[in-house]
Formats: sequence, structure tokens, C-alpha cells
Amino acid sequence: MKAILPALLILIPGVNLFAQEKAAPQPLTVVKPATEGKVWGALIFATNDAAQLIGSQEKAPAHLGQLNDRLSKVFGFKHFEILGQHQQDIFREYESWVVPSRDLFLKIDSNGPADNGGVKLHLQVWREQQVLVKSDAVLRAGSPLFIGGPKWKNGRLIFVLSLERK
Amino acid sequence: MPSSAATDPGEVSDIDLVKRSQAGDTRAFDTLVTKYRGRIYAMTYHLIQNETEAWDLAQEAFIKAWRALPNFKQDAAFYTWLYRIAHNVTYDWLRKKKIQGDGEFDDERTEHRVAAGAEATPKGDAAPDTAMRNAELGQRIQEAISRLTPEHRQVIILREVEGLAYEEIAALVPCSLGTVMSRLFYARKKLQEQLKDVYETTL
Amino acid sequence: MKPPSEDHDLIRWIDGEMNDAERATFEARLKSDPMLAKEAEELRALSAGIQAHLPAEMKIPHADFFNSQIQVRIAQMDLDESRQKQAGNTSLADLFLSWIRQPWFATAGAVALAVLGFVWMRPHTQDTSHSLILSSYTPGLGVEASTYHDNEADATVLMLDGLEEVPSDRKISGISVHRSETEPEVASTTLFDATGSPLLVISRDDAGHPLFLTNTPRG
Repeated sequence: MKAILPALLILIPGVNLFAQEKAAPQPLTVVKPATEGKVWGALIFATNDAAQLIGSQEKAPAHLGQLNDRLSKVFGFKHFEILGQHQQDIFREYESWVVPSRDLFLKIDSNGPADNGGVKLHLQVWREQQVLVKSDAVLRAGSPLFIGGPKWKNGRLIFVLSLERK
Repeated sequence: MPSSAATDPGEVSDIDLVKRSQAGDTRAFDTLVTKYRGRIYAMTYHLIQNETEAWDLAQEAFIKAWRALPNFKQDAAFYTWLYRIAHNVTYDWLRKKKIQGDGEFDDERTEHRVAAGAEATPKGDAAPDTAMRNAELGQRIQEAISRLTPEHRQVIILREVEGLAYEEIAALVPCSLGTVMSRLFYARKKLQEQLKDVYETTL
Repeated sequence: MKPPSEDHDLIRWIDGEMNDAERATFEARLKSDPMLAKEAEELRALSAGIQAHLPAEMKIPHADFFNSQIQVRIAQMDLDESRQKQAGNTSLADLFLSWIRQPWFATAGAVALAVLGFVWMRPHTQDTSHSLILSSYTPGLGVEASTYHDNEADATVLMLDGLEEVPSDRKISGISVHRSETEPEVASTTLFDATGSPLLVISRDDAGHPLFLTNTPRG
């Protein structure tokens, strides 16, 4: 019995090693590049017909108070629901993707800081493989950007982009 | 030396445009942009083989040139100075992206898309028309170049497209003359392998 | 394998980098070495082919937008610089006046506004608390972008009109991304949901278009 125990002690780590080798390969080393801040992006479906809503439970962050009312003032619809949302770092040297949906998403490139804590951006709105618009913008916290997108189901798809306060 | 768009009259107008730009005249700078954007875009495009990024990088080069204008002493032609900025911007981008570090590129990753305006002919089809054959050859050459590493692509572009002398290439890269020659030789041999059917002669 | 100096001689000859004496010596070698002559001729033809098919100048796509973007960025850079130079107590009105007195102001504004199809909004220097759209460009035919700040909604609006409608029977679904990881070496980004499970990997193809790869769960 005593002889078996050391053998077991040797064997068990060996088994673990074997198990690790069989496990999924290690992921690539992840580097966190320098950032200019964070953005929150959402794809919103706006409609006057509540029956068209899909019943999404997604909620906007608290700092975007009264989002539905504000959207209504701009776009005139009664009902809004967040189809998808994405909080994303704005990388200083690399592009950033804001992808609340595969169907409509944004690419952002930082052009450096702006005054009042803002960020200068080059942004592109993509619909699948097509660029809808390319823009140079200054995004400031507390001042969201509403992008009126294509019509859908007698309503409209809207992109909201907001800079998070540091 | 990469030549300016014109000879003496061009040089004179460049000097005038540059002086006005240095004084803050953005319209003068806009004229310089219009004059050289085609050449700068061609250079960035050939180096990175990506239309969208080449466009952004060409723009970045002009922005950097505007910022650096106060430091331009006019001891070289404006285009030469601009070209150097564009080259460095592009090569920095390539290094940052670190597309496939050593050796030749993976074919799948660097499958070349035909440049805007080029005619594309399906491979394998008979192309009796000379223009179509020419377009196909151009496409094959671009594909072959896209498979080179950045270092080898760089020397080929600087030599074959920009017509720089070895010393100019060595100063721009920067590297030794021997390295320029070795890379050029290696790059051409690699291209020759891929375009064997086109350029092989029989004794 | 030939020694490096022989390879170098070959390309120096092709590229005209030899002096007269060196060229004469090398050409004499070519006459007596058919294999070397063959290699030299092939490489020379290749060089000529590359020069013929790689243009030194290319038509830049969206040329007007290329120029106007540069002008806008220059104007913005100069504005930022002049603001930084001003003392802290300087009023916004003084800042605005010093900006419009700059020699480049009129030309930068005229150039940007003169370009067809663009929307350019001048920075509202009186109020720097809002987000701004400085310029925009819509590549699609018939698509127009308009931008304004809606005070009631307290939001900056970028309205895209003329977009192709999404078919009603098309399913548009969203995802909820809680974090992402970027791998610069392979230029890709992985998106994760709230539980830490990977949702998507985004990369770019060689035309610069986004490539979405669905991440399958491991194990």
C-alpha cells in the first residue's frame, strides 16, 4: 500500500497534465491597448405599433435618462425597444467596433481628445458589408448621438451612441 | 529621387504653394494635396494592398505634412519630403498591424482584391484580346507582390514604382546598401517563382 | 547558391546601378555564361513587367471628400491649438473672434462648404458641451445625411434619409455585448456577453470590410 501511494501521487499530476493537453488551446495573448474612454452603443427599433415589438428586456444605462422621450422628440415614434447594446473602449491606436447587431454596427477611430472631456472620432455606420455614412464627430459625455437608420416594419432602426463619463 | 509632377515650372509653383501653406494658407495646401494625392495614394496602396486603409493612410500623411510644414526647410523637393512622410506613416501602420511576422504571407490572408478601375478576367478563360491578357497579367503581378513580406514588398515598390536609387532606398528604410540589394534580389526571385510561366525564357 | 556579391551584381546590372567599367565586365560574363544571361533576361523582363503594371499614380476614390476631410481636420487642429494658447479667463466670445480672424478661416470654410453632397457643421464655439458632427459623407446613391442639435431632446442627430428599407420579413436581432478583447497581432476583436461567453469575433478582410466569425463554445 505504501508503495502504491507514491506511485499514485506521481500518476495524478500526470493525469492532470494529460487532461490539460487535451483541453482547448490557450488563447492568444490579449493586450489592452491605450484608450480614450468608453462608448455605449445601441440599436433601437422605433415604431408606433406596439404589436411589432419583439419584447426585448434590454435597458439603457441610467446616465441616459428619459431616453425614450428624447428619441420620441426627434423621431416622433411612440414605442422604442433596444434590440442590442454594446459598451466598448475607444482605442487610441486601433479601430473600435460597436456591434449591438450584426445588421447595423459602427466602426470608430479615435482622432484624439477634444475639450470638455470629449473625444474626436471618425465613425462609420455599416449595414452588413456596406458603409452607410462616414463622419467626423466630436462626442461628449451627456450628449448622445442619435443616428436615424433605415426603415423597418413601418418603423425605423435607430443607432444611439453615447460617451460614458469617466 | 521621386520626381515632382512637373519639372521647372512645377518646382517653382511648388515652392510658392509651400511658402503660402507655411504661412497658413490652407487653399495653397489644398492645391498641393490635389497635385500629389494620386501618387501618395498609389504608394500607400501598393505597400498595403488595401483600398480603405490606403485612403486613410494617404490622408494621414497629408495631415502630418501640414503639421510638419514649419520644419520643412525646402532643401529638398516638396514631393520628396512628402513622400518620405507618407512612406513612414504607411510602414509604421504595417509594423503596428504586424500582419504575419516572418516569412511569406499566407495566401488566404493576403488574397488580393483587384484595385479599383482594373479589369478582372476569370482565371483559366481564354483571353484572345491583348487588353484582357494585359489586365490578367497585371492582376497576377499584384497578387504575387501581395504575397511578399512587408520588407520585400517595400523595396520592390520603392525601386520599381518610385524609381528610387539604392542609396535612396537605404536612407528611407533605413538599412545598408547590401540589405537593399539582398532584399531586392530575394523579392524578385520570389516573384519570378510565382510568375514563372510568364517570364521564363528558353535558351 | 551563388555568393551574395554575384546576386548583387545581377540586380545592379538590371537596375543600371553599375558604372561603365563594371557594366562592361558583367556584360562580358553574360556572353560567356548562358545560364546567367537567361536569369538576367528573365529578371529584367520581370522588372519591366512590374513597372508596367504598377502605376506610380492612381485615381484616389472619393477625391473631393479626401480633400475636404483634410481641410476639416486642419481647421479643427488649428482651433484646438488657438484655444490652448488662450488664457483661462478669456471669454468664449473672444476665443470665437480670434478664431475667425485667422487667415485660414475663410478659405477652410469656403473649401469645405463648396464641396457637393457634404454636410459640414461648424463647431459651436459658444457651447462646447454638445456632441457635434463635423462632416459626413454618404457613399450610397440617393442617401442624404443631415445633422443638427435637438435642444428639446438634448441630443445631436445624424439623420440618414434615402436608405434602402429593410424588408419587413427580415429578422433583425441584437446582441448584448458586455466586454471585448482585442488582439492587435491578428487585428481581431472578440465580443463577450454578460456571462463571459464569446459572442462574435470581428476581423477585416483585405478589402477592409468587417468579417464576423461566430465563436463556437469550447469543450
